[in-house]
Amino acid sequence: MTKTSLPRVFRSFPGLLGATALGLLATASGQALAADPIKIGVIAEAQAIAGASIPQAAQMAADEINAKGGVDGRKIEIVTYDNHSSSADSVRAFQRAVNEDKVNIVIASYISEVVLALEPWASRLKTPFITPGAASNEISKSVHNDYEKNKYTFHGYLTSAALALSVCDAAKELLVEQKNMKTAVIMSEDAAWTKPLDVGYEECLPKIGLKVIDHIRFSPDTTDFTPIFNKIEGTKPDVMITGISHVGVQPTVQWKNQQVPIPMFGISSQATNSTFGKDTNDASNGVLYQGVSGTGVAVTEKSVPFADGFNKRFGNFPSYAGYTAYDEVYYIADAVKRAGSTDADKLVDALEKTDWVGTIGRVQFYGKDDPFTHSIKYGKGLITGLMLQWQDGKQVAVWPKEVAKGQLKFPSFIKVTSN
Amino acid sequence: MGDFFKSRLFFVSLAVVIIASTLPLYVSGYVLGLLTVAYYFGVFAMSWDLLFGFAGEVNFGPTFLIGVGAYTAGILNNQYGWSVYLCIVLGALAAVVAGFVLALPALRVRGPYFGLTTLVAVLMLQNFIVVFADLTGGEIGLTIPDVISIDAGVNYWIALGFMTISAIILYGLSQSPIGLVLQASGQDPIQAGALGFNIVKHKLAAFVVSAFFSGLSGALLVFYFGTASVGTVVDIAVGVQVIVAAVLGGRRTVLGAALGAIFLIVAGEFLRPTGELATFIVSTVALLVILFFPNGFLGAALSHGARS
Amino acid sequence: MLAFQILIDGFAISALYALGATGFTLIFGVSGVLNLSHGAIMVLAAVAAWAAASVLHVDTYTGALIGVAVALVAAFATYFAVVQPIQKSTRIPNEEKEIFVLTGTLLWGIMIQELIAYFFTNNAKTVLPIIEGVIDILGVRTPRNEIFTAVVCCLVIALLWLMVNRTRTGKAVLAASMNPRGVTLLGLELGSIYVVVWAIYGILAGIAGVLLGMFLGVSSYSVGPLTASAFSIVVLGGLGSVSGSLIAAFVVGYLETLTAYLISPAYRTIPALLLLVAVMYVRPQGLLGRR
Repeated sequence: MTKTSLPRVFRSFPGLLGATALGLLATASGQALAADPIKIGVIAEAQAIAGASIPQAAQMAADEINAKGGVDGRKIEIVTYDNHSSSADSVRAFQRAVNEDKVNIVIASYISEVVLALEPWASRLKTPFITPGAASNEISKSVHNDYEKNKYTFHGYLTSAALALSVCDAAKELLVEQKNMKTAVIMSEDAAWTKPLDVGYEECLPKIGLKVIDHIRFSPDTTDFTPIFNKIEGTKPDVMITGISHVGVQPTVQWKNQQVPIPMFGISSQATNSTFGKDTNDASNGVLYQGVSGTGVAVTEKSVPFADGFNKRFGNFPSYAGYTAYDEVYYIADAVKRAGSTDADKLVDALEKTDWVGTIGRVQFYGKDDPFTHSIKYGKGLITGLMLQWQDGKQVAVWPKEVAKGQLKFPSFIKVTSN
Repeated sequence: MGDFFKSRLFFVSLAVVIIASTLPLYVSGYVLGLLTVAYYFGVFAMSWDLLFGFAGEVNFGPTFLIGVGAYTAGILNNQYGWSVYLCIVLGALAAVVAGFVLALPALRVRGPYFGLTTLVAVLMLQNFIVVFADLTGGEIGLTIPDVISIDAGVNYWIALGFMTISAIILYGLSQSPIGLVLQASGQDPIQAGALGFNIVKHKLAAFVVSAFFSGLSGALLVFYFGTASVGTVVDIAVGVQVIVAAVLGGRRTVLGAALGAIFLIVAGEFLRPTGELATFIVSTVALLVILFFPNGFLGAALSHGARS
Repeated sequence: MLAFQILIDGFAISALYALGATGFTLIFGVSGVLNLSHGAIMVLAAVAAWAAASVLHVDTYTGALIGVAVALVAAFATYFAVVQPIQKSTRIPNEEKEIFVLTGTLLWGIMIQELIAYFFTNNAKTVLPIIEGVIDILGVRTPRNEIFTAVVCCLVIALLWLMVNRTRTGKAVLAASMNPRGVTLLGLELGSIYVVVWAIYGILAGIAGVLLGMFLGVSSYSVGPLTASAFSIVVLGGLGSVSGSLIAAFVVGYLETLTAYLISPAYRTIPALLLLVAVMYVRPQGLLGRR
């Protein structure tokens, strides 16, 4: 890789000079010391609940690893950046992380837009990069389509396609087998991550015995959901299958205020937040949502200690991206150990061979020849996701059976006919 | 114009540009990256100031012109893979056309109505981008396959050179007879009209020039970031930043606008340790400047210079 | 059935738009100020009501009152800290005060928005409705809260109408909105009229904000769209014309509801924008505006 070595040298020298000249930063030195720390850049949305957990969880993992002596004597150092949910700010933060702060790898963002903007920069600056929470299929498809260029990007969360599968697997047991439901309407926000999700829904729902009678996409800026609910109710489905992330509090509150008699089931990212009940004044009761983890749910033996430790330290439970970010720091450390180096290409090779049991299940990445290269594998024994329900102001796991803590329970205005 | 070359402002500007051009020799890539963005924003703000400070028209939608330039260039590169430079030129031309289409009806009305028309144009563009997501990437933004360069120094010099040339042209224009007519028509359109100047034609020219530089700068920015998204080049918040930069730096000075833009972006970054409060602090400082030093940085400096 | 549904749902949202836009247009009419922190003040009211209820655990009525009170304080702060200093400044030429007020209130709005996001995150918040449950109107299941929203909006607007037409202060406000110079000639203090107008504005924006928080929910992201929608409605109706704004609010509200029901919820806002563009081309002063 002659290409990398030249600009690196070129960059680090003026970098050193500049730092001394301007006195901007005392930490610009990239020279290797005996126990040079492993630097992980964390770029996230500090004002969003999903994003705020990312740097906190990463820091927690780093502190735990460092307390046990680090990786081969090297400490892990987390450098955080707030991207204000903007892709331009994220690109700037990424450049700063690589050029100025000399990070070895970057963990960034739960928003697909931001991740897709950063992906080419990971290639250009040859720095490995993992997202803890974006879902778009495009992230890993680009890696598949141009592996040599985009191999630096890893997708540490389920793709939209896998999310759809997870929802369908849960719907089969909970809705079709337990409640004899037969028809569904897909309701999703118009965003890039929901396009493959909807394709996935359209494909797998009929297979499990739920006929899709309508499909409604609405603008993520929507504030008034009355027309949407009325339209859905008009087609008399047994269930609404959701794909929402930008919106969440508002449709839920209006669902309750209007007493829409149809349950909501599917992806509802905001419902994964532990504050969702409070934000909706408990209108959330009855909402079913997919998650990779849940408070008090022992997906693996690491899940509950992590969530409790997080709550103790930060005063709230982690968002879904908190779980994935925590795991990511651990398997990055593991990959560095196996690679014996923080060299970008060696690190990519080592990450590809990841087999790590974390808080959300067993993490492995799809290979070069799979359609979703570098995305985490979905399936039994790996990561299946969970189905949870808000019940009396609490998040209760209802699927899969192994971890379920309760049965489905709906508010009185919901008409679920058969039991 | 002649006076300018003898003025202190000229020598100060010259010195600043010379110092700025040597920065890549001793400043880190990150600082360069920051200034690169700041320089492109400087051009946005200068173009806006030409229209406001001299033609007296408050354009609330600078991001309409910026966005058209940026997205045209990005889409052409993304869809057809045309060369970066061709796309940039076409982006700038598209912005000129868009500016013309917007200006013709908008210039018939005055005062707040002109501003409103331009604001509505931004909202329309935003909706258009979301609705035609297949072409534009919609909410998620458009990924652009090519970038001008990944070398921070090269990008920096391009941005600095571009800003310097734009500054010379825009400042020159504002001091030329055309600029004086514009200024006269902005302050007293009836009298200027009575003196036999075709005000609408002059204003249209100002709008088109403003559109050209906004679009060009937008297109360059897109090929610097390697991404175009509503939040980066179209959102009203971006337009607000441009306007604040121009007012902060000193309206009617053109050069002050660039100063304001650089201040806003660099200040935002210096405040990074304050995390989420950075935007709050920058807005507060900007508000205080507007309240207590309404002539902006350069305006205050110039009037001070004149007095001493 | 569908027609009734559109009629009922459109009414509540239109009434809310009308209430939100009335204060905005009143201030413009009287003092020529376009207050671009409008959305921020509305969101602030809703978030304050939410916080009062869920953090301080007060009851819903007290929460709503706290929300309106906070908006009133914010409106005065906007006037005394931002608008008045600019209007009184001797260093800003008169013809440029407009742009300074716009920039100033915009920055002020961003400051409020950032503070809300800092303390309460940018997640959406909803205020617990004063009246819960649903009733059946002509086969349409309507939340009582929706009816409550519509009734309160209409009542407040009616009260405002009474005040403007029947009380001495109100008449002075009306006169000032028609011709500010005339009022000073009549010996009335224009400054005190401004204070009255900003107080009315604060209460209107506060009520609208709290109702919006109960009906649809708000987040710090709503600030921009709320200002923009008030702005569009006011432009459509004609700057400074209160009755124009009321008509425009219903036109926009129903146009959006119709689009959402008959075409697609994804295109909800587009026809209203197209109408706005058309009006700007044909009749730039708006439906009932004076040039």
